This record gives sequence, C-alpha cells and structure tokens, in this order.
Amino acid sequence: MVTEIQKRDGRIVSFDESKVLNAVGRAMRDSGHSDAGDATRVGDAFHQIALTWADGSVPRADEVQSAVEKALEKSGFADVAKAYALYRADRTRAREKDSALMHVFDEITTRDARDSDLKRDNANVDGDTAMGTMLQYGATAAKEYNEKFLLRPEQAKAYREGDIHIHDFDFYALTMTCCQIDLQKLFHGGFSTGHGFLREPNDIRSYGALACIAIQSNQNDQHGGQSIAQFDRGIAPGVAKTFAKRLRVDLAEALDLLSPEGAPRPDAEALKAVFAGAEATSGGKPALARSEAFDGAVVAALESDGVAAPVAEKAMAWARRQAEKETDEATYQSMEALIHNLNTMHSRAGAQTPFSSINYGTDTTPEGRMVVKNLLLTTEKGLGHGETPIFPIQIFRVKDGVNYNPGDPNYDLFQLACRVSSKRLFPNFSFVDAPFNISYYKPGHPETEVSYMGCRTRVMANVHDRDREISPGRGNLSFTSINLPRLAIEAHGDEAKFFRSLDKMLALVAQQLLDRFEIQANRKVKNFPFLMGQGVWLDSDRLHWNDPVREVIKHGTLSIGFIGLAEVLVALYGHHHGESPEMQEKGLAIVRHIREFCDSMAAKTKLNWTCLATPAEGLSGRFIRMDKKRYGIIPGVTDRDYYTNSFHVPVHYKISAIDKIRIEAPYHALTNAGHITYVELDGDMARNVKAFEAIIRAMHDAGIGYGSVNHPVDRDPVCGYNGVIGDTCPRCGRRESDELIKFERIRRITGYLVGTLDRFNDAKRAEEHDRVKHGLSGNASDRA
Amino acid sequence: MPPTGPSASAPGPDAGKPERVLRLAGFDRDDIVDGPGLRCVVFVQGCPHHCPGCQNPQTWAFEGGEEVTPSELFRRIEDTVLDTGVTFSGGEPFAQADALADLARMLRPRYDVACYTGYLFEALLAKSERDEGTRRLLESIDILVDGPFVEARKDRMLLFRGSANQRILDVPASLAARAAVWTTDPGWVGEDGAARAG
Repeated sequence: MVTEIQKRDGRIVSFDESKVLNAVGRAMRDSGHSDAGDATRVGDAFHQIALTWADGSVPRADEVQSAVEKALEKSGFADVAKAYALYRADRTRAREKDSALMHVFDEITTRDARDSDLKRDNANVDGDTAMGTMLQYGATAAKEYNEKFLLRPEQAKAYREGDIHIHDFDFYALTMTCCQIDLQKLFHGGFSTGHGFLREPNDIRSYGALACIAIQSNQNDQHGGQSIAQFDRGIAPGVAKTFAKRLRVDLAEALDLLSPEGAPRPDAEALKAVFAGAEATSGGKPALARSEAFDGAVVAALESDGVAAPVAEKAMAWARRQAEKETDEATYQSMEALIHNLNTMHSRAGAQTPFSSINYGTDTTPEGRMVVKNLLLTTEKGLGHGETPIFPIQIFRVKDGVNYNPGDPNYDLFQLACRVSSKRLFPNFSFVDAPFNISYYKPGHPETEVSYMGCRTRVMANVHDRDREISPGRGNLSFTSINLPRLAIEAHGDEAKFFRSLDKMLALVAQQLLDRFEIQANRKVKNFPFLMGQGVWLDSDRLHWNDPVREVIKHGTLSIGFIGLAEVLVALYGHHHGESPEMQEKGLAIVRHIREFCDSMAAKTKLNWTCLATPAEGLSGRFIRMDKKRYGIIPGVTDRDYYTNSFHVPVHYKISAIDKIRIEAPYHALTNAGHITYVELDGDMARNVKAFEAIIRAMHDAGIGYGSVNHPVDRDPVCGYNGVIGDTCPRCGRRESDELIKFERIRRITGYLVGTLDRFNDAKRAEEHDRVKHGLSGNASDRA
Repeated sequence: MPPTGPSASAPGPDAGKPERVLRLAGFDRDDIVDGPGLRCVVFVQGCPHHCPGCQNPQTWAFEGGEEVTPSELFRRIEDTVLDTGVTFSGGEPFAQADALADLARMLRPRYDVACYTGYLFEALLAKSERDEGTRRLLESIDILVDGPFVEARKDRMLLFRGSANQRILDVPASLAARAAVWTTDPGWVGEDGAARAG
C-alpha cells in the first residue's frame, strides 16, 4: 500500500487518494460526463493501478498523474484522458512560468560568470560582483514584465522565438539608448548633477574631471553609450584658462625675481588689471598662440607702472615659456586622470563603468591640439601598471585638409593617433570625408562633423528638423535587429519569398519600434534628471520638469538592424559577398531594401528611421543557437557558434585587407544608423606603425565611415612588457605555462575592449578564435 | 603550375627568352612582421643552412613547393594594392638568386625590396665576383638581413630579426662601400636606431 508521494519540489507528503478522485471528477464534468457512477468506475481503475505499486514505494506526482490518465483510458473515457492531459500540460506551463524566473535567479545567484553564458551576456558587467548580480536580477525581472505586459502577442512571439532581437529589452519602458554630449554647452554657466551645483570650470583639471561626471551622470539616465561629440573643442577652453592664469602668476614671479631692490613689482593679483587692460587696448588675448599686440600691451603697462623695460620684456618672455610648459604638464595630468576615472568610476546600478566614447581630432587651435596630444600620450603610456585602457572608446576624426595629409595642421596628431592605436587598439578612426558624412559637413560648424558612438552608432540626418542635421545633443532612441539568416533559411533558395518575409518582418519591427517610441514619448523630463533636466538632449532646455519628452526625442533615431548578411547569402545562393561580385550585388540589394524601408518610414512618420549594422554582442550566439535547434547544421549558415556581424565578410574567410575594405565600404553608405569595419592583422602592430597607417588611409580612400584595426595586444603583468606574447614573454622570458600569473590578452568585442577572454560570451569567444588575420597564411602556400 | 614558355610570360627585362622559374614554399600578403609597412613575403623552397631552431624547416628541401614565374608572382603582389614592400625569405633566397633578381627588377622602384639570407654580406660580395645571379640579386635589393639564425642569440625583442648576430644592411650603401653598412631607416631599426622594440 502506497502511503506517501513525492511532490515536484522534492518534498514527500502523505498520499491522499481523495484528492486524485476529486481531480478526476472535475475533468469528467468538464468533458460532459456528469454521472457519478462513471467517476467511481475510473476511481476503481486507478485503485487497481495503484495496487501494483510496491509497498512502501514513494511514487512521484507525475507518475500518479500518468496512472490517472491510464485509468481514464481503460474505463473508456479517452476524451477525458485527453482533457486531463491538456489540463496537466497547462498547469505544468503555468508552474514553469513561475519557476523559470526563479531558476534564472538561481543561476544568477549561484553560478560563476565563467560557467554561465547568461552572466557574460554583456562583457562590461562583472556578473560575479554584488552589484553586477543585482543588476542582472533587475534586468531579468524587467524583461519578464516587459514581454508579458508591453509587447503585442506577435511581437512577443517574434522576440521569444528569435525572429527579432529587441535590444536593451530590460530598459524597454524606461529610457532611450544613447546621446552625444555637447561639453561646451553643458559647461557654459555650470550644471547640476542633482546632488549639487557645479560652477563653470576654470582650470584644465576641473574640465577633465567634469567631463567624466557628465558622462557618468548621463549614463544613469540611459542604457546605451555616452559620447562626447567634440572632446578637443570642449576641453580646449580649460587649457586656455589655465594658460592665462599661469601666465599671470609666472609673470609676477619673474618680475619679483628680476626687479631690483626697491623697484615696483606688481603681484599676480595686481596683474589682473594689467591683463584686462592689455586685452582691451590690444584686442589680443593671453593665449597659447602668442599675440604680439597683447604681450606688447602688457609690457607697456608694466613700464608705465615703473618696471624697467628690459625687466618687463625678459619677465614676459620667460613667463610665456614657463606657462606653456606648466599648462602642457597640467593638461597631461588632467587627461591621465580622465582616463583613470573613466576606467574606474561606476554607473548603471553601480555595476558597470560607463560606456564612454570621445570624438576628437579636428580642432586646430593650439589649445585643442594640446588636449589631443596629451590624451594620446597618456593613452599610449597606459594605466597605472601600463595596462591598456578599456575606456573611453576614442575616435579620431579624420578630415582631408585638417589632419589627413602631410602639411595639414593636425597631420602630426593623426600620425600620433596611428602610433597609439597600433599599441593600444584605440583610437578608432572616423572619416568625415566619406560621401555620406561629408554631405552634412559645413566648414566652420564643428557640430556638422560626424560623431560616432564608440561601438558604431551614428546620428546625422534629421527629418524632424532639417536645420539641425548635427550630432551633438542627439542619439538613438531604440533599435531592434532582424534574424536575417532565418528568413533566408525558410525561403529555401526562393529570393522572392525571402523578400516577402523580410517585408513582413520589417513591418512587425516598425510597429514595435513605434510602440516603444510611444512609451518613451510619454516619459517626462523628471525621468531623465540629467539628460533632459540639464539640457544635454537637444531642445530639452525648452521643457519643464513635468513635460513629456515627445517632441524633443523626435531628434533621435529609431533603427532597424540586421545580422548575418554572409549567412543569408550562403543560404539563398550558396556563396557570400566576400566570394564574388555577383554576391556583393545581392548583398547590397538586401541591405538597400532595408534602408529604403527605413527611408519610407521616415517620410511617412517624420521620425528618423535608420538602418543599422548591428553590433552583435549576445545576439550573435542567441539567434544561431535557436536556428541550429530548428534547422540543424547547414554548412556555411548554422555550422558555427555565431552569425557574422552585420555586413562583415566572415572573420574566418581569408581575404586581403584591401578587398575586405572595398567590399564593406558600400554598406557603410547604406547603414546610416551606424557601421564599423575592422581589418585583422597579426603581429606586433606597434613595431610597424607604417603598416597601420596604410590600412587607415585605405579605409579613408575607400569611403569607409568608421573603422579600426584589430591586432593582438598582450601584456605580461610581471615585467610590464606590452606587445605580442606567445607562451613566453619576449622581454623577461617568463613562460605562462610555468606560473600562476597569466598574461593579459586584450581583445575587441563588438567595439569594446575586454581585458581577458573570460568575460566573452561563448559565441564571441568562438568568433575571436575563428578570426583570420587577413593575408597571413603562416608558411602555407597562398593561392587565393 | 606547368613550366611557363615564352608565350605565357609577361615582357620582362629579358623579353623573348623563356622566363626563369622560382620554387616557392609560400606567399604572404599584408604581412607586418618581415619589414616596415604592409609587405608581401616570398618564401622560397630550399635551404642549405639548416640552422638549429629554424622556424620553417619545411622549406629546407630543394624539392617540392610550387613552381612559379617571377611575372606570375609580380601579378600576385600587384593584386594586394596596399602592399608597398616585398621581402624575400625562405628557404635561402640566394639559392635562387637569378629568378629572384628577375622579380626584384620588376618590383623596383615601385616596391622596396628586402631579402633575408643565411650567408654573410661579405661572403655574398665575394661570390658576386664570379656568380652572375648573386651579383644581380645584390644589385636589385634595398635591404639585406644577413647571417644565420643562432639559437643561443635568439631575442624576441629584436625588430625584424631572429637572433642578435643578424644585421640589417643598406645594400646600395654596402655595395658602394664594399663593406657591410647598417641601414638607418627608422622603419627597420626604430626611431632610436636601436633595432629593438621598446
């Protein structure tokens, strides 16, 4: 006789047969069998089965339920058995629904990030820390809620089943993606972080510190990256202010030292009036670019105050040299602090360093140049122990006539940028001269120079306000990516069918983005205390605390992304766009189709719809895992652990650098929401900067919008050597396999640098592993 | 590839004569580790030195590899578009001096041409008195990295060299001086001229 059963959660409780019989009765009634005698017969049948269980055995709940089904069938109630089975399945699903979330919480709580792909989904979050774990609980619960309450059924289905990916889905109801910050505007007159007012900075050190605070504060209002559109122009006034102050103080010191006993020696305070007067009479300024008129006016004023002419002149000349040197040093220290800060400060629930980016390179003033020179030098030097800085993502803006060719005023900075990037992987390079970027460019209006968000996002066109096709104060609102390879697999080689299903998917995504826009539009200024409250977002300074942000976020973009163009082409036609010009035409036709859809939506809605070459972190593995399960292994399509990034030529395909650049360039013109091209080179890039510059120049000339070079950067933490390390450190000869301390290996993942491979998710690890360094075949004969 | 007759060869310095053929162990493009800038590397098949610790022992045998004419190689090099230098490696390039000299003459002055060798410059200079191929190859290259790989003097911090005994020579200057002259090109020896990585 059975007296106990085991429940689903493992507990053993006493067995109550009447509960089973009651459930049977309910199922019978629901199926229209209301005769109590029937129920009794089924009960007897169940009892017979139960007798076969060994004495003292403890059946599991699901075994009992199977016995009930069998009893129903035996008694001639197959229809009730079916209803009962359905009821059970439904109950199971409901139970799983409740517990799935708890299981995920369990994984988040108990497993090391190393063993959990879920916890490494975002390489920038350390899933092993308290705050990282808390962030993951929140994100998981929010996704659950958003899917159940905010998506339409067809959207939820498409999202759940991997037809589409809604990026930053945990933030669905809360905020927009990213913003290009205009530092000059923000600093003008000072700003507030919500916990106190910060005066307009007056020194290069404060400029650097406040730039970090601006990024951190804005990061708390948005889930995506934070970028400074014009870093050099934003920080340059700090250099100017520091120089003016140092010039005055140094002049006072020199006068004190040089003036004979008893002669007049105005101190720094007294020189304030002298400087102000000299500015007024000469029209010049105490600036790095020496104004003879100003210096002359100061000397003249000193003479009229009784300072001997030779003393005044000598003091002024020394003060200028000294002030320039001191300002240069202070700028270096400020940039060093900025980089350290951006790699250590936390935001986003305290679990992540902000996703910071800075654009620079075209300011030709001595102050702006001093900023960029020192920023690059400190980046080259690395962090405290020479480590490669992960943040900020630096973007050197290349422009013909400004910094691209010998003789251009900032050509030296471009060369320095190449040298630094060949050692540190940053800066990346953006190209104002690319046809689709130069069309917005207005000389004398730096805000019309393209800015990129580190990982690739780009916002330029503005159908909402044609007069403001600029980058500062704007950003992406939200983006959703389409699993293109799946559409291609399902089309079974039928091109027309592929485009038909693509159109359907585009319509679905457009509706979803509009739905999300509605949610965002109804948020109020107070929901974004810094972004909107401090006027960082374009036109938000015209709104009040309780105003909805609808009108101003129309400056932002709604973007439709895609992944795996290469796999699409293989699935549809058997080859990808790296392999033949015909496939390149097919690839361009597909991406052009998406772009044209976006353009038509923009015309229809007067919102900025753009086409995105999706950065694929997390996503690259998610889609293909699902598709593998669904379709099995299809050679060239689902036979790897990741789908290829956007329009990239597959990383495992051998191709020369120039061919990769030329094949990918036309897609940059189509993907107006953002794009990036990488060239992979093997070897210690820092030993061959000339080769690095050749690649960047080829990108510029081919019409690439944004690009970078991937190359290995390793570091031995023991001796500090930075370069390429195999198993043995070239400098100290230490072998990795002999000791506990591993070499650090910096690699790039969807635009962000990661210090070790540990935080890569599985798909990204596989992708890194497969990367073919273009053109290098070891010693094998290369017949390609 | 079949042996190439006159009809298949591009017009070269010896137009009309059948082209010489190179025995190739490998060809790399967009290389950044065998000289400054982006380069093509021509690995020849066959080497008499057999240095202990050699990175490419599969190139020792004088049989095997791929037979290719200089003009075919020239076409492959041109296809890279970006590459501005060519490095001869191997194998021992001076074991196939004639064919490589033909290639180098097609390449210059558009490409800078560098050559690794297990011989010393002084020995090659002496040999060039009696050997036409050696003389022609020396006269057609810009840079010579000379000397065998000596495992005991291996040093990974060296720029573009395997062991510290090897020298990076400015060939036109060395020929003019009739003695080995180090290059001063910062691309080869670094901004500080130390020929070592920092």
